[in-house]
Amino acid sequence: MPDLPDRISEWLLLLVKSQRSIAHLLINNELVLIQAGGELEYYGLGDLKHGDSASDQLPFLEGLLPLAETPFLLESVGMAGGAVADVHLFADEDRTWVVLLDVTVEHDQARKMQQKAYDMTLLSQREARLIAKLEAAHKELTLTHRDLAQSRDELLRVHTRLRKELHDAQHYVLAILPAPVVEPIAVDWLFVPSTELGGDSFGYQWIDGDHYALYLLDVCGHGVGSALLSITVANTLRSRALQNTDFRRPEAVLSSLNQAFQMENQNGLYFTMWYGVYHRPTATLRYASAGHPPPILVSGAREQRGKAELLPGAGCPVGILPDFPYESEECTLAGPARLFLFSDGAYEIMRPDGNMLEFEDFEEVLTRAVPEGASELEELLQFARDFHGSEELDDDFSIIKMTI
Amino acid sequence: MLQKKVCLLGGFGVGKTSLVQRYVQSIFSDKYLTTVGVKIEKKMVNVGAAEVALILWDIAGEDDITGIRTSYLRGAAGYFLVVDVTRGETLEVSKSIQARVTAEIGSVPFLFLFNKTDLQEQWDIPEQSVEDLKDAGHVVLRTSAKTGEGVEEAFQTLAQRMVL
Repeated sequence: MPDLPDRISEWLLLLVKSQRSIAHLLINNELVLIQAGGELEYYGLGDLKHGDSASDQLPFLEGLLPLAETPFLLESVGMAGGAVADVHLFADEDRTWVVLLDVTVEHDQARKMQQKAYDMTLLSQREARLIAKLEAAHKELTLTHRDLAQSRDELLRVHTRLRKELHDAQHYVLAILPAPVVEPIAVDWLFVPSTELGGDSFGYQWIDGDHYALYLLDVCGHGVGSALLSITVANTLRSRALQNTDFRRPEAVLSSLNQAFQMENQNGLYFTMWYGVYHRPTATLRYASAGHPPPILVSGAREQRGKAELLPGAGCPVGILPDFPYESEECTLAGPARLFLFSDGAYEIMRPDGNMLEFEDFEEVLTRAVPEGASELEELLQFARDFHGSEELDDDFSIIKMTI
Repeated sequence: MLQKKVCLLGGFGVGKTSLVQRYVQSIFSDKYLTTVGVKIEKKMVNVGAAEVALILWDIAGEDDITGIRTSYLRGAAGYFLVVDVTRGETLEVSKSIQARVTAEIGSVPFLFLFNKTDLQEQWDIPEQSVEDLKDAGHVVLRTSAKTGEGVEEAFQTLAQRMVL
Protein backbone atom coordinates (compact mmCIF):
# COMPACT_ATOMS: atom_id res chain seq x y z
CA MET A 1 0.00 0.00 0.00
CA PRO A 2 1.61 3.32 -0.99
CA ASP A 3 2.04 5.90 1.76
CA LEU A 4 -0.65 8.36 0.72
CA PRO A 5 -1.33 11.76 2.31
CA ASP A 6 -4.52 11.79 4.36
CA ARG A 7 -6.20 14.20 1.92
CA ILE A 8 -5.62 11.83 -0.97
CA SER A 9 -6.87 8.89 1.02
CA GLU A 10 -9.98 10.83 1.91
CA TRP A 11 -10.42 11.92 -1.71
CA LEU A 12 -10.05 8.33 -2.94
CA LEU A 13 -12.63 7.17 -0.42
CA LEU A 14 -15.05 9.84 -1.60
CA LEU A 15 -14.36 8.84 -5.21
CA VAL A 16 -15.09 5.15 -4.58
CA LYS A 17 -18.21 5.96 -2.58
CA SER A 18 -19.47 8.24 -5.36
CA GLN A 19 -18.81 5.73 -8.15
CA ARG A 20 -19.53 2.41 -6.45
CA SER A 21 -22.69 1.62 -4.61
CA ILE A 22 -21.41 0.16 -1.40
CA ALA A 23 -23.22 -2.10 1.01
CA HIS A 24 -21.76 -3.83 4.04
CA LEU A 25 -22.75 -6.66 6.32
CA LEU A 26 -21.35 -7.98 9.57
CA ILE A 27 -21.73 -11.59 10.61
CA ASN A 28 -20.74 -13.08 13.92
CA ASN A 29 -19.07 -16.41 14.61
CA GLU A 30 -22.47 -18.07 14.98
CA LEU A 31 -23.14 -17.05 11.35
CA VAL A 32 -25.85 -14.63 12.41
CA LEU A 33 -26.28 -11.27 10.71
CA ILE A 34 -25.60 -8.62 13.33
CA GLN A 35 -25.24 -5.51 11.23
CA ALA A 36 -26.05 -4.27 7.71
CA GLY A 37 -25.75 -0.93 6.03
CA GLY A 38 -25.05 1.06 2.89
CA GLU A 39 -27.02 0.74 -0.31
CA LEU A 40 -28.68 -2.57 0.51
CA GLU A 41 -31.79 -1.86 -1.60
CA TYR A 42 -29.57 -1.50 -4.68
CA TYR A 43 -28.49 -5.12 -4.26
CA GLY A 44 -31.98 -6.39 -3.48
CA LEU A 45 -31.08 -6.84 0.19
CA GLY A 46 -33.58 -4.43 1.73
CA ASP A 47 -35.36 -7.12 3.76
CA LEU A 48 -32.43 -8.39 5.77
CA LYS A 49 -33.17 -9.14 9.39
CA HIS A 50 -30.60 -8.74 12.10
CA GLY A 51 -30.32 -11.71 14.38
CA ASP A 52 -31.27 -14.27 11.71
CA SER A 53 -29.01 -16.75 9.91
CA ALA A 54 -26.77 -14.97 7.44
CA SER A 55 -26.55 -17.78 4.88
CA ASP A 56 -30.34 -18.27 4.88
CA GLN A 57 -30.74 -14.61 3.88
CA LEU A 58 -27.62 -14.37 1.73
CA PRO A 59 -27.36 -17.55 -0.41
CA PHE A 60 -23.99 -16.54 -1.88
CA LEU A 61 -22.45 -17.02 1.59
CA GLU A 62 -23.37 -20.74 1.68
CA GLY A 63 -20.27 -22.77 2.45
CA LEU A 64 -17.95 -19.75 2.72
CA LEU A 65 -18.10 -19.05 6.44
CA PRO A 66 -16.11 -19.23 8.53
CA LEU A 67 -13.53 -17.92 6.12
CA ALA A 68 -10.72 -20.30 5.20
CA GLU A 69 -8.65 -17.34 4.07
CA THR A 70 -8.96 -13.60 4.65
CA PRO A 71 -9.45 -11.37 2.83
CA PHE A 72 -11.50 -13.32 0.27
CA LEU A 73 -13.01 -12.02 -2.95
CA LEU A 74 -15.89 -13.23 -5.08
CA GLU A 75 -15.82 -11.34 -8.36
CA SER A 76 -18.82 -10.35 -10.47
CA VAL A 77 -21.60 -11.91 -8.45
CA GLY A 78 -25.05 -11.31 -9.92
CA MET A 79 -27.34 -10.06 -7.17
CA ALA A 80 -31.09 -10.43 -6.83
CA GLY A 81 -31.71 -6.78 -7.71
CA GLY A 82 -29.98 -7.13 -11.08
CA ALA A 83 -26.81 -5.39 -9.98
CA VAL A 84 -23.46 -7.10 -10.12
CA ALA A 85 -21.04 -6.84 -7.22
CA ASP A 86 -17.58 -7.81 -6.26
CA VAL A 87 -18.07 -9.38 -2.85
CA HIS A 88 -15.20 -8.78 -0.44
CA LEU A 89 -15.05 -10.76 2.78
CA PHE A 90 -12.57 -10.30 5.59
CA ALA A 91 -12.34 -11.39 9.19
CA ASP A 92 -12.46 -8.96 12.08
CA GLU A 93 -11.58 -10.92 15.22
CA ASP A 94 -14.50 -13.40 15.56
CA ARG A 95 -16.70 -11.58 13.07
CA THR A 96 -16.73 -11.36 9.31
CA TRP A 97 -17.29 -8.26 7.27
CA VAL A 98 -18.92 -8.55 3.87
CA VAL A 99 -18.55 -5.57 1.54
CA LEU A 100 -20.35 -5.30 -1.77
CA LEU A 101 -18.81 -3.03 -4.42
CA ASP A 102 -20.82 -2.37 -7.53
CA VAL A 103 -19.21 -3.53 -10.82
CA THR A 104 -22.35 -3.59 -12.94
CA VAL A 105 -21.00 -1.29 -15.63
CA GLU A 106 -17.73 -3.17 -15.97
CA HIS A 107 -19.65 -6.46 -15.96
CA ASP A 108 -21.94 -5.35 -18.78
CA GLN A 109 -19.00 -4.15 -20.86
CA ALA A 110 -17.13 -7.39 -20.29
CA ARG A 111 -20.24 -9.38 -21.14
CA LYS A 112 -20.69 -7.58 -24.47
CA MET A 113 -17.10 -8.22 -25.44
CA GLN A 114 -17.25 -11.81 -24.31
CA GLN A 115 -20.53 -12.33 -26.17
CA LYS A 116 -18.94 -11.24 -29.43
CA ALA A 117 -15.85 -13.32 -28.83
CA TYR A 118 -17.87 -16.45 -28.01
CA ASP A 119 -20.24 -15.94 -30.92
CA MET A 120 -17.22 -15.75 -33.23
CA THR A 121 -15.60 -18.76 -31.61
CA LEU A 122 -18.78 -20.83 -31.89
CA LEU A 123 -19.07 -19.89 -35.56
CA SER A 124 -15.46 -20.79 -36.10
CA GLN A 125 -15.90 -24.14 -34.34
CA ARG A 126 -19.00 -24.88 -36.39
CA GLU A 127 -17.10 -24.04 -39.57
CA ALA A 128 -14.23 -26.28 -38.50
CA ARG A 129 -16.65 -29.15 -37.87
CA LEU A 130 -18.24 -28.65 -41.27
CA ILE A 131 -14.83 -28.61 -42.94
CA ALA A 132 -13.87 -31.77 -41.06
CA LYS A 133 -17.08 -33.45 -42.21
CA LEU A 134 -16.46 -32.35 -45.79
CA GLU A 135 -12.89 -33.63 -45.64
CA ALA A 136 -14.09 -36.95 -44.22
CA ALA A 137 -16.71 -37.20 -46.97
CA HIS A 138 -14.08 -36.35 -49.55
CA LYS A 139 -11.76 -38.98 -48.15
CA GLU A 140 -14.53 -41.54 -48.25
CA LEU A 141 -15.39 -40.57 -51.81
CA THR A 142 -11.74 -40.89 -52.77
CA LEU A 143 -11.60 -44.38 -51.28
CA THR A 144 -14.85 -45.32 -53.00
CA HIS A 145 -13.51 -43.96 -56.25
CA ARG A 146 -10.36 -46.03 -55.83
CA ASP A 147 -12.41 -49.14 -55.10
CA LEU A 148 -14.55 -48.44 -58.14
CA ALA A 149 -11.44 -47.99 -60.27
CA GLN A 150 -10.14 -51.34 -59.04
CA SER A 151 -13.49 -52.96 -59.77
CA ARG A 152 -13.54 -51.35 -63.20
CA ASP A 153 -10.03 -52.65 -63.95
CA GLU A 154 -11.06 -56.12 -62.83
CA LEU A 155 -14.22 -55.92 -64.94
CA LEU A 156 -12.13 -54.76 -67.86
CA ARG A 157 -9.81 -57.75 -67.45
CA VAL A 158 -12.78 -60.12 -67.30
CA HIS A 159 -14.42 -58.34 -70.22
CA THR A 160 -11.25 -58.63 -72.30
CA ARG A 161 -10.96 -62.33 -71.50
CA LEU A 162 -14.63 -62.92 -72.34
CA ARG A 163 -14.28 -61.00 -75.59
CA LYS A 164 -11.35 -63.17 -76.56
CA GLU A 165 -13.32 -66.29 -75.70
CA LEU A 166 -16.31 -64.99 -77.67
CA HIS A 167 -14.02 -64.20 -80.56
CA ASP A 168 -12.69 -67.75 -80.47
CA ALA A 169 -16.27 -69.07 -80.34
CA GLN A 170 -17.22 -66.87 -83.28
CA HIS A 171 -14.37 -68.35 -85.27
CA TYR A 172 -15.59 -71.81 -84.37
CA VAL A 173 -19.16 -70.97 -85.48
CA LEU A 174 -17.90 -69.70 -88.81
CA ALA A 175 -15.55 -72.66 -89.15
CA ILE A 176 -18.34 -75.23 -89.00
CA LEU A 177 -20.32 -73.47 -91.76
CA PRO A 178 -19.82 -75.23 -95.10
CA ALA A 179 -17.81 -73.43 -97.73
CA PRO A 180 -19.68 -72.13 -100.80
CA VAL A 181 -19.76 -74.68 -103.62
CA VAL A 182 -19.99 -74.17 -107.37
CA GLU A 183 -20.73 -77.57 -108.84
CA PRO A 184 -22.77 -79.57 -109.48
CA ILE A 185 -25.12 -77.30 -107.56
CA ALA A 186 -23.94 -73.80 -106.79
CA VAL A 187 -24.56 -72.67 -103.23
CA ASP A 188 -23.36 -69.38 -101.79
CA TRP A 189 -24.18 -67.67 -98.52
CA LEU A 190 -23.73 -64.60 -96.36
CA PHE A 191 -23.79 -64.63 -92.59
CA VAL A 192 -23.42 -61.49 -90.44
CA PRO A 193 -24.17 -62.05 -86.78
CA SER A 194 -25.65 -59.08 -84.94
CA THR A 195 -23.49 -59.82 -81.94
CA GLU A 196 -20.29 -61.76 -81.97
CA LEU A 197 -22.30 -64.93 -81.50
CA GLY A 198 -25.66 -65.37 -83.20
CA GLY A 199 -28.45 -67.89 -83.10
CA ASP A 200 -28.46 -68.61 -86.84
CA SER A 201 -26.83 -71.56 -88.48
CA PHE A 202 -27.20 -73.44 -91.75
CA GLY A 203 -25.80 -76.20 -93.88
CA TYR A 204 -26.11 -78.14 -97.11
CA GLN A 205 -24.86 -81.54 -98.06
CA TRP A 206 -25.45 -84.58 -100.27
CA ILE A 207 -27.46 -87.27 -98.57
CA ASP A 208 -26.87 -89.70 -101.38
CA GLY A 209 -26.02 -89.39 -105.07
CA ASP A 210 -29.41 -87.87 -105.92
CA HIS A 211 -30.59 -86.02 -102.84
CA TYR A 212 -29.13 -82.69 -101.72
CA ALA A 213 -30.24 -81.27 -98.37
CA LEU A 214 -30.34 -77.55 -97.57
CA TYR A 215 -31.34 -76.09 -94.24
CA LEU A 216 -31.25 -72.94 -92.12
CA LEU A 217 -32.26 -72.51 -88.51
CA ASP A 218 -32.71 -69.49 -86.27
CA VAL A 219 -32.58 -69.99 -82.48
CA CYS A 220 -34.54 -67.38 -80.56
CA GLY A 221 -32.40 -64.71 -78.95
CA HIS A 222 -28.73 -63.97 -79.44
CA GLY A 223 -25.48 -64.62 -77.65
CA VAL A 224 -23.71 -67.62 -76.26
CA GLY A 225 -26.78 -69.66 -75.26
CA SER A 226 -28.47 -69.31 -78.64
CA ALA A 227 -25.21 -69.98 -80.49
CA LEU A 228 -24.52 -73.16 -78.49
CA LEU A 229 -27.94 -74.62 -79.36
CA SER A 230 -27.61 -73.49 -82.98
CA ILE A 231 -24.21 -75.15 -83.33
CA THR A 232 -25.44 -78.32 -81.65
CA VAL A 233 -28.37 -78.63 -84.06
CA ALA A 234 -26.16 -77.84 -87.06
CA ASN A 235 -23.61 -80.46 -85.99
CA THR A 236 -26.42 -82.98 -85.43
CA LEU A 237 -27.67 -82.44 -88.97
CA ARG A 238 -24.23 -82.37 -90.52
CA SER A 239 -23.31 -85.68 -88.89
CA ARG A 240 -26.83 -87.06 -89.38
CA ALA A 241 -26.92 -87.95 -85.71
CA LEU A 242 -30.71 -88.27 -85.49
CA GLN A 243 -31.53 -91.94 -85.04
CA ASN A 244 -34.17 -93.66 -87.17
CA THR A 245 -34.55 -90.60 -89.35
CA ASP A 246 -34.66 -90.53 -93.13
CA PHE A 247 -32.80 -87.32 -93.97
CA ARG A 248 -34.42 -87.31 -97.39
CA ARG A 249 -37.79 -86.65 -95.73
CA PRO A 250 -37.94 -83.07 -94.36
CA GLU A 251 -40.99 -83.72 -92.15
CA ALA A 252 -39.16 -86.63 -90.52
CA VAL A 253 -36.09 -84.51 -89.86
CA LEU A 254 -38.11 -81.71 -88.23
CA SER A 255 -40.11 -84.20 -86.15
CA SER A 256 -36.92 -85.87 -84.89
CA LEU A 257 -35.36 -82.52 -84.06
CA ASN A 258 -38.56 -81.49 -82.29
CA GLN A 259 -38.39 -84.61 -80.15
CA ALA A 260 -34.72 -84.13 -79.35
CA PHE A 261 -34.70 -80.37 -78.63
CA GLN A 262 -37.75 -79.54 -76.53
CA MET A 263 -37.36 -76.09 -75.02
CA GLU A 264 -37.78 -77.23 -71.39
CA ASN A 265 -34.53 -79.15 -71.84
CA GLN A 266 -32.83 -76.29 -73.69
CA ASN A 267 -32.99 -73.51 -71.13
CA GLY A 268 -36.21 -72.22 -72.68
CA LEU A 269 -34.76 -71.90 -76.18
CA TYR A 270 -36.57 -72.93 -79.34
CA PHE A 271 -35.83 -72.34 -83.03
CA THR A 272 -37.39 -71.88 -86.42
CA MET A 273 -36.06 -73.95 -89.27
CA TRP A 274 -36.50 -74.65 -92.94
CA TYR A 275 -35.26 -77.97 -94.26
CA GLY A 276 -35.40 -78.87 -97.95
CA VAL A 277 -34.18 -81.79 -100.05
CA TYR A 278 -33.52 -81.32 -103.75
CA HIS A 279 -33.91 -84.46 -105.87
CA ARG A 280 -31.61 -83.68 -108.73
CA PRO A 281 -32.79 -86.34 -111.24
CA THR A 282 -36.35 -84.97 -111.14
CA ALA A 283 -35.51 -81.35 -110.20
CA THR A 284 -37.97 -81.73 -107.37
CA LEU A 285 -37.69 -79.85 -104.11
CA ARG A 286 -39.31 -81.38 -101.05
CA TYR A 287 -39.33 -79.14 -97.98
CA ALA A 288 -40.81 -78.50 -94.57
CA SER A 289 -40.89 -75.47 -92.36
CA ALA A 290 -40.89 -75.08 -88.61
CA GLY A 291 -42.19 -71.54 -88.28
CA HIS A 292 -39.47 -70.26 -90.58
CA PRO A 293 -39.84 -67.41 -93.12
CA PRO A 294 -40.73 -68.81 -96.58
CA PRO A 295 -37.80 -69.05 -98.99
CA ILE A 296 -38.04 -67.12 -102.26
CA LEU A 297 -37.56 -68.86 -105.59
CA VAL A 298 -36.50 -66.36 -108.26
CA SER A 299 -36.91 -67.72 -111.78
CA GLY A 300 -35.14 -66.38 -114.79
CA ALA A 301 -31.66 -65.50 -115.90
CA ARG A 302 -29.48 -63.70 -113.39
CA GLU A 303 -28.86 -60.79 -115.73
CA GLN A 304 -32.55 -60.06 -116.06
CA ARG A 305 -35.24 -59.15 -113.58
CA GLY A 306 -36.60 -62.43 -112.26
CA LYS A 307 -39.97 -63.65 -111.13
CA ALA A 308 -40.34 -64.33 -107.40
CA GLU A 309 -42.31 -67.16 -105.89
CA LEU A 310 -42.65 -67.89 -102.18
CA LEU A 311 -42.34 -71.46 -100.95
CA PRO A 312 -44.73 -71.35 -98.00
CA GLY A 313 -44.79 -73.93 -95.31
CA ALA A 314 -46.70 -74.14 -92.06
CA GLY A 315 -45.22 -75.60 -88.96
CA CYS A 316 -44.59 -74.90 -85.31
CA PRO A 317 -41.09 -73.80 -84.27
CA VAL A 318 -38.97 -76.68 -83.02
CA GLY A 319 -39.06 -77.18 -79.26
CA ILE A 320 -42.51 -75.88 -78.43
CA LEU A 321 -44.99 -78.73 -79.08
CA PRO A 322 -43.47 -82.21 -78.62
CA ASP A 323 -45.81 -84.09 -80.96
CA PHE A 324 -46.36 -81.48 -83.62
CA PRO A 325 -47.13 -83.22 -86.97
CA TYR A 326 -44.75 -81.64 -89.50
CA GLU A 327 -45.68 -82.00 -93.13
CA SER A 328 -43.68 -81.65 -96.36
CA GLU A 329 -44.47 -79.63 -99.47
CA GLU A 330 -43.11 -80.36 -102.91
CA CYS A 331 -42.38 -78.31 -106.01
CA THR A 332 -40.36 -78.55 -109.18
CA LEU A 333 -37.43 -76.21 -109.74
CA ALA A 334 -37.10 -75.22 -113.38
CA GLY A 335 -33.80 -73.52 -114.19
CA PRO A 336 -32.49 -71.07 -114.56
CA ALA A 337 -33.54 -70.14 -111.02
CA ARG A 338 -32.16 -69.16 -107.66
CA LEU A 339 -33.54 -70.28 -104.36
CA PHE A 340 -32.97 -67.85 -101.50
CA LEU A 341 -33.22 -69.24 -97.98
CA PHE A 342 -32.84 -66.74 -95.16
CA SER A 343 -33.59 -65.88 -91.53
CA ASP A 344 -35.97 -63.12 -90.45
CA GLY A 345 -33.00 -60.88 -89.70
CA ALA A 346 -32.43 -60.55 -93.45
CA TYR A 347 -35.65 -58.63 -94.02
CA GLU A 348 -36.89 -57.40 -90.62
CA ILE A 349 -34.83 -54.25 -90.97
CA MET A 350 -35.82 -51.07 -89.19
CA ARG A 351 -35.14 -47.63 -90.56
CA PRO A 352 -33.87 -44.86 -88.27
CA ASP A 353 -37.40 -43.39 -88.26
CA GLY A 354 -38.78 -46.65 -86.88
CA ASN A 355 -40.41 -47.91 -90.08
CA MET A 356 -39.83 -51.54 -91.00
CA LEU A 357 -38.75 -52.82 -94.41
CA GLU A 358 -41.72 -54.38 -96.21
CA PHE A 359 -41.28 -58.02 -97.18
CA GLU A 360 -42.37 -57.14 -100.71
CA ASP A 361 -39.51 -54.63 -100.98
CA PHE A 362 -37.07 -57.28 -99.84
CA GLU A 363 -38.54 -59.67 -102.39
CA GLU A 364 -38.22 -57.00 -105.07
CA VAL A 365 -34.52 -56.55 -104.34
CA LEU A 366 -33.96 -60.27 -104.87
CA THR A 367 -35.63 -60.16 -108.29
CA ARG A 368 -33.44 -57.38 -109.58
CA ALA A 369 -31.10 -58.11 -112.46
CA VAL A 370 -27.56 -58.67 -111.29
CA PRO A 371 -24.79 -57.00 -113.25
CA GLU A 372 -21.90 -59.15 -114.42
CA GLY A 373 -19.33 -59.63 -111.66
CA ALA A 374 -21.57 -58.31 -108.87
CA SER A 375 -22.52 -60.30 -105.79
CA GLU A 376 -26.25 -60.14 -105.25
CA LEU A 377 -25.86 -61.29 -101.64
CA GLU A 378 -23.40 -58.47 -100.91
CA GLU A 379 -25.72 -56.01 -102.64
CA LEU A 380 -28.63 -57.28 -100.57
CA LEU A 381 -26.58 -56.78 -97.38
CA GLN A 382 -25.66 -53.26 -98.44
CA PHE A 383 -29.29 -52.54 -99.20
CA ALA A 384 -30.21 -53.68 -95.70
CA ARG A 385 -27.48 -51.54 -94.13
CA ASP A 386 -28.46 -48.50 -96.15
CA PHE A 387 -32.08 -48.98 -95.16
CA HIS A 388 -31.11 -49.40 -91.49
CA GLY A 389 -28.80 -46.41 -91.60
CA SER A 390 -25.98 -48.29 -89.89
CA GLU A 391 -23.42 -51.00 -90.57
CA GLU A 392 -24.56 -52.76 -87.39
CA LEU A 393 -27.83 -54.65 -87.89
CA ASP A 394 -30.20 -55.48 -85.06
CA ASP A 395 -30.46 -59.20 -85.85
CA ASP A 396 -28.41 -61.97 -87.46
CA PHE A 397 -28.33 -61.56 -91.23
CA SER A 398 -28.20 -65.03 -92.81
CA ILE A 399 -29.02 -65.94 -96.39
CA ILE A 400 -28.21 -68.92 -98.63
CA LYS A 401 -28.55 -68.90 -102.36
CA MET A 402 -28.85 -72.12 -104.32
CA THR A 403 -28.55 -71.69 -108.06
CA ILE A 404 -30.11 -74.19 -110.40
CA MET B 1 -33.36 -26.70 6.64
CA LEU B 2 -30.43 -28.01 4.69
CA GLN B 3 -28.67 -25.76 2.21
CA LYS B 4 -26.31 -27.18 -0.44
CA LYS B 5 -24.14 -25.21 -2.80
CA VAL B 6 -24.12 -26.67 -6.29
CA CYS B 7 -21.86 -25.37 -9.07
CA LEU B 8 -22.53 -25.71 -12.79
CA LEU B 9 -19.25 -26.00 -14.63
CA GLY B 10 -18.15 -26.58 -18.20
CA GLY B 11 -16.98 -24.89 -21.34
CA PHE B 12 -18.65 -21.74 -22.60
CA GLY B 13 -21.93 -22.08 -24.47
CA VAL B 14 -22.71 -25.60 -23.25
CA GLY B 15 -26.05 -24.54 -21.72
CA LYS B 16 -25.36 -24.13 -18.01
CA THR B 17 -27.52 -21.02 -17.68
CA SER B 18 -30.27 -22.60 -19.77
CA LEU B 19 -30.30 -25.66 -17.50
CA VAL B 20 -30.68 -23.47 -14.41
CA GLN B 21 -33.43 -21.41 -16.06
CA ARG B 22 -35.24 -24.58 -17.14
CA TYR B 23 -34.93 -26.06 -13.64
CA VAL B 24 -35.73 -22.95 -11.58
CA GLN B 25 -38.09 -20.98 -13.83
CA SER B 26 -39.23 -23.65 -16.35
CA ILE B 27 -38.27 -21.42 -19.26
CA PHE B 28 -35.94 -21.73 -22.24
CA SER B 29 -34.61 -19.30 -24.82
CA ASP B 30 -32.77 -20.18 -28.02
CA LYS B 31 -30.83 -16.94 -27.78
CA TYR B 32 -27.34 -17.47 -26.41
CA LEU B 33 -26.38 -14.99 -23.66
CA THR B 34 -22.93 -15.46 -22.22
CA THR B 35 -22.34 -15.41 -18.47
CA VAL B 36 -19.66 -13.28 -16.84
CA GLY B 37 -18.78 -14.01 -13.25
CA VAL B 38 -21.49 -15.96 -11.49
CA LYS B 39 -25.27 -15.92 -11.14
CA ILE B 40 -26.81 -17.49 -8.09
CA GLU B 41 -30.27 -19.04 -7.88
CA LYS B 42 -32.07 -20.95 -5.16
CA LYS B 43 -34.40 -23.92 -5.58
CA MET B 44 -36.07 -26.06 -2.97
CA VAL B 45 -36.06 -29.81 -3.46
CA ASN B 46 -37.23 -32.75 -1.37
CA VAL B 47 -34.85 -35.62 -0.73
CA GLY B 48 -36.72 -38.28 1.12
CA ALA B 49 -38.29 -36.52 4.10
CA ALA B 50 -35.75 -33.72 4.04
CA GLU B 51 -36.28 -30.36 2.39
CA VAL B 52 -33.11 -29.10 0.83
CA ALA B 53 -32.33 -25.66 -0.55
CA LEU B 54 -30.08 -25.96 -3.56
CA ILE B 55 -27.94 -22.84 -4.03
CA LEU B 56 -27.13 -23.01 -7.71
CA TRP B 57 -23.96 -21.26 -8.83
CA ASP B 58 -24.13 -20.71 -12.57
CA ILE B 59 -20.47 -20.01 -13.19
CA ALA B 60 -19.03 -18.44 -16.34
CA GLY B 61 -17.85 -21.07 -18.78
CA GLU B 62 -14.26 -21.83 -19.41
CA ASP B 63 -12.57 -20.81 -22.63
CA ASP B 64 -9.05 -21.02 -24.03
CA ILE B 65 -7.97 -17.90 -22.14
CA THR B 66 -9.99 -17.81 -18.96
CA GLY B 67 -10.18 -20.78 -16.62
CA ILE B 68 -12.81 -21.17 -13.95
CA ARG B 69 -12.26 -19.07 -10.85
CA THR B 70 -11.59 -21.52 -8.08
CA SER B 71 -12.82 -19.01 -5.50
CA TYR B 72 -16.35 -19.72 -6.75
CA LEU B 73 -15.98 -23.37 -5.80
CA ARG B 74 -15.37 -22.77 -2.14
CA GLY B 75 -17.99 -24.52 -0.05
CA ALA B 76 -19.57 -26.47 -2.95
CA ALA B 77 -21.31 -29.68 -1.89
CA GLY B 78 -21.63 -30.95 -5.43
CA TYR B 79 -21.35 -29.91 -9.03
CA PHE B 80 -22.36 -30.61 -12.58
CA LEU B 81 -19.96 -30.92 -15.49
CA VAL B 82 -22.00 -29.81 -18.49
CA VAL B 83 -21.08 -31.00 -21.98
CA ASP B 84 -22.52 -29.78 -25.29
CA VAL B 85 -23.09 -32.96 -27.30
CA THR B 86 -22.84 -31.04 -30.56
CA ARG B 87 -19.29 -29.91 -29.70
CA GLY B 88 -17.03 -32.82 -28.93
CA GLU B 89 -14.28 -30.61 -27.55
CA THR B 90 -16.48 -29.56 -24.60
CA LEU B 91 -16.19 -33.07 -23.17
CA GLU B 92 -12.43 -32.67 -22.86
CA VAL B 93 -12.94 -29.26 -21.22
CA SER B 94 -15.26 -30.82 -18.62
CA LYS B 95 -12.85 -33.66 -17.90
CA SER B 96 -10.06 -31.13 -17.41
CA ILE B 97 -12.23 -29.05 -15.05
CA GLN B 98 -13.14 -32.11 -13.04
CA ALA B 99 -9.50 -32.82 -12.28
CA ARG B 100 -8.90 -29.25 -11.13
CA VAL B 101 -12.07 -29.10 -9.02
CA THR B 102 -11.09 -32.28 -7.22
CA ALA B 103 -7.68 -30.78 -6.48
CA GLU B 104 -9.31 -27.58 -5.19
CA ILE B 105 -12.20 -28.78 -3.03
CA GLY B 106 -11.65 -32.51 -2.74
CA SER B 107 -14.01 -35.29 -3.68
CA VAL B 108 -17.65 -34.22 -3.70
CA PRO B 109 -20.55 -35.66 -5.73
CA PHE B 110 -20.74 -34.61 -9.35
CA LEU B 111 -22.53 -35.65 -12.53
CA PHE B 112 -21.70 -35.30 -16.19
CA LEU B 113 -24.63 -33.76 -18.05
CA PHE B 114 -24.63 -34.38 -21.81
CA ASN B 115 -26.76 -31.41 -22.77
CA LYS B 116 -28.57 -30.39 -26.01
CA THR B 117 -29.70 -33.94 -26.72
CA ASP B 118 -32.55 -32.49 -28.77
CA LEU B 119 -29.92 -31.82 -31.47
CA GLN B 120 -29.51 -35.53 -32.12
CA GLU B 121 -28.52 -35.10 -35.78
CA GLN B 122 -25.58 -32.90 -34.75
CA TRP B 123 -24.25 -35.35 -32.14
CA ASP B 124 -20.48 -34.98 -32.13
CA ILE B 125 -19.36 -37.23 -29.29
CA PRO B 126 -18.30 -40.85 -29.86
CA GLU B 127 -20.49 -43.30 -28.00
CA GLN B 128 -17.30 -44.90 -26.72
CA SER B 129 -16.48 -41.70 -24.81
CA VAL B 130 -19.73 -42.04 -22.90
CA GLU B 131 -18.97 -45.66 -22.16
CA ASP B 132 -15.46 -44.74 -21.00
CA LEU B 133 -16.90 -42.25 -18.48
CA LYS B 134 -19.34 -44.85 -17.18
CA ASP B 135 -16.57 -47.43 -16.95
CA ALA B 136 -14.61 -44.94 -14.84
CA GLY B 137 -17.54 -44.91 -12.37
CA HIS B 138 -18.95 -41.53 -13.38
CA VAL B 139 -22.64 -40.82 -13.70
CA VAL B 140 -23.63 -39.52 -17.12
CA LEU B 141 -27.09 -38.12 -17.71
CA ARG B 142 -28.54 -36.83 -20.94
CA THR B 143 -30.35 -33.51 -20.74
CA SER B 144 -32.01 -30.96 -22.95
CA ALA B 145 -32.72 -27.57 -21.49
CA LYS B 146 -34.85 -26.96 -24.57
CA THR B 147 -37.21 -29.91 -24.10
CA GLY B 148 -36.64 -30.37 -20.39
CA GLU B 149 -35.48 -33.95 -20.91
CA GLY B 150 -33.48 -35.22 -17.91
CA VAL B 151 -33.21 -31.80 -16.20
CA GLU B 152 -35.34 -32.48 -13.13
CA GLU B 153 -33.79 -35.94 -12.85
CA ALA B 154 -30.27 -34.46 -12.93
CA PHE B 155 -30.79 -32.05 -10.05
CA GLN B 156 -32.71 -34.61 -8.04
CA THR B 157 -29.96 -37.19 -8.55
CA LEU B 158 -27.23 -34.81 -7.41
CA ALA B 159 -29.30 -33.68 -4.42
CA GLN B 160 -29.70 -37.28 -3.29
CA ARG B 161 -26.00 -37.93 -3.67
CA MET B 162 -25.17 -34.85 -1.60
CA VAL B 163 -27.66 -35.55 1.18
CA LEU B 164 -27.90 -39.32 1.52
